[in-house]
Amino acid sequence: MIRDYLQLCWQSLYWIVAGPARGKPVKLSTVLRQLVLIGVRSLPMVLLLSFFMGLVLGMQSAYTLKNLGAEIFVANLVAVSFFREIGPLLTAIVLAGRCGSAITAEIGTMKASEEIEALQVLAINPVRFLVSPRVLAAVMIMPSITIIANFAGNFGGWTIGVCSLGLDPNVYVNRCFDALVFKDVWTGLFKSTVFAALVSTLACFWGMRVEGGAEGVGRATTNSVVSSLVAILASDVLLTGIFYFL
Amino acid sequence: MIPEDEIIRVQGLVKAFGPRRVLDDVSFSVKRGEILVIMGGSGCGKSTLLRHLIGVVQPDAGDIFILGRNICGMDEDQLAEVRRKFGMLFQSGALFASMTVGENVALPIREHSVVDDTIAQLMVKMKLELVGLTGFEHLKPSEISGGMKKRVALARAIALDPPLLFCDEPTAGLDPIMTAVVDTLTLDLCQKLGMTAVVVTHDMVSAFRIASKMLMLYQGKVVAYGTPDEIQAMDNPILKQFVNGEADGPIPLRLSEGDYLKHLIG
Repeated sequence: MIRDYLQLCWQSLYWIVAGPARGKPVKLSTVLRQLVLIGVRSLPMVLLLSFFMGLVLGMQSAYTLKNLGAEIFVANLVAVSFFREIGPLLTAIVLAGRCGSAITAEIGTMKASEEIEALQVLAINPVRFLVSPRVLAAVMIMPSITIIANFAGNFGGWTIGVCSLGLDPNVYVNRCFDALVFKDVWTGLFKSTVFAALVSTLACFWGMRVEGGAEGVGRATTNSVVSSLVAILASDVLLTGIFYFL
Repeated sequence: MIPEDEIIRVQGLVKAFGPRRVLDDVSFSVKRGEILVIMGGSGCGKSTLLRHLIGVVQPDAGDIFILGRNICGMDEDQLAEVRRKFGMLFQSGALFASMTVGENVALPIREHSVVDDTIAQLMVKMKLELVGLTGFEHLKPSEISGGMKKRVALARAIALDPPLLFCDEPTAGLDPIMTAVVDTLTLDLCQKLGMTAVVVTHDMVSAFRIASKMLMLYQGKVVAYGTPDEIQAMDNPILKQFVNGEADGPIPLRLSEGDYLKHLIG
């Protein structure tokens, strides 16, 4: 099974990179549509969740930092933890739950209704036609959404800082920027790219494996979301470890 | 060597799912311009045979030559090359639900030829006209009836004027008039354009109308093979029962094995 998955990843990458050279590029119109579905349509939810998370993080850190009289460090804490960790993670979870499940269900239904077979018989490679555009779109759009999520989260922290802790709005913003170094930003974005690749390939993989009608589609969708979440967290541990020790 | 005019040759095809032999030493050949009708009861292996012919299932033993090339053991790229030369009409139609009728028919044209978009549009309109569905380009498959889906699927299958066409139950679910239209269309394509067709069906009226050769499968074996006249003259009880649609005969109603009484009492 893992071999099948790796094979799918390889084929999907192959068509993205070598497709144009073989005169069969990944279709731009499909990629654009997926960018809208995966990216633009996820934005409201990502914004809302990140803002909530920012509020929660602000309150929780203030609870401890208040004892030390260091409420101002709420800004540092929220900024750093969002850019390094929570922004990419939250966005990836939204991606898995919202788009990964949709991709699996869509491709799975196509598999169940012989559409994948029809593609093969029309001599259209299903990986090039279905998988590559989705993977490409997810990997392209995720870092941008993550950045937006980061700002929404910090706005949440700022709201707590200004409205509840009585911090000066400008000071809070300045502290945020002071706290962040370039490494915080790029490691976060790197993570989000890896998450996007994992979620999108896993979603397509489970979709392509569907056997036997509606029940199979349901099971595949569950598998897709569960395995995506595990993959996200596992790769997060790995990447955080690498960035921490190196 | 395979003769030039032999479009399909199947030799000693065997396929088993578990202990059950779905195809058991099936051999036949189809010449250019012929329409081969494969018939047989449900579960006799005819759909499995067709799936072997289009290369989505690999046999356990035997060879399949399509247009002179052995498709058994081919990789996806080689298969794609062969598949570009034939059309396939799926039993369910297998239209892409996310695309409109027009886009469905246009897909093979856009993918495999370098024609201008206006020409592609024109070709789509011509193919839809052939199946009597002009003006339905902008509807989604979910917005048209089952019979219409099948006709759209046929239009898609012949979009690139392939030399070979496979049809899985092309007339199931169509009204008698549409059945006649589809039959006439298949006949026309084969007689006028030299297309070869393999049609799986259990609609006997339609089968005798279009077939130039007929093949009957029973329990994975070829029990009869010949022209429609030969088939009608044959004195095979299995064939007779199927062609005449009789409930009594050598073909058992029950597909399950074992004693019914024992099963009932437990």
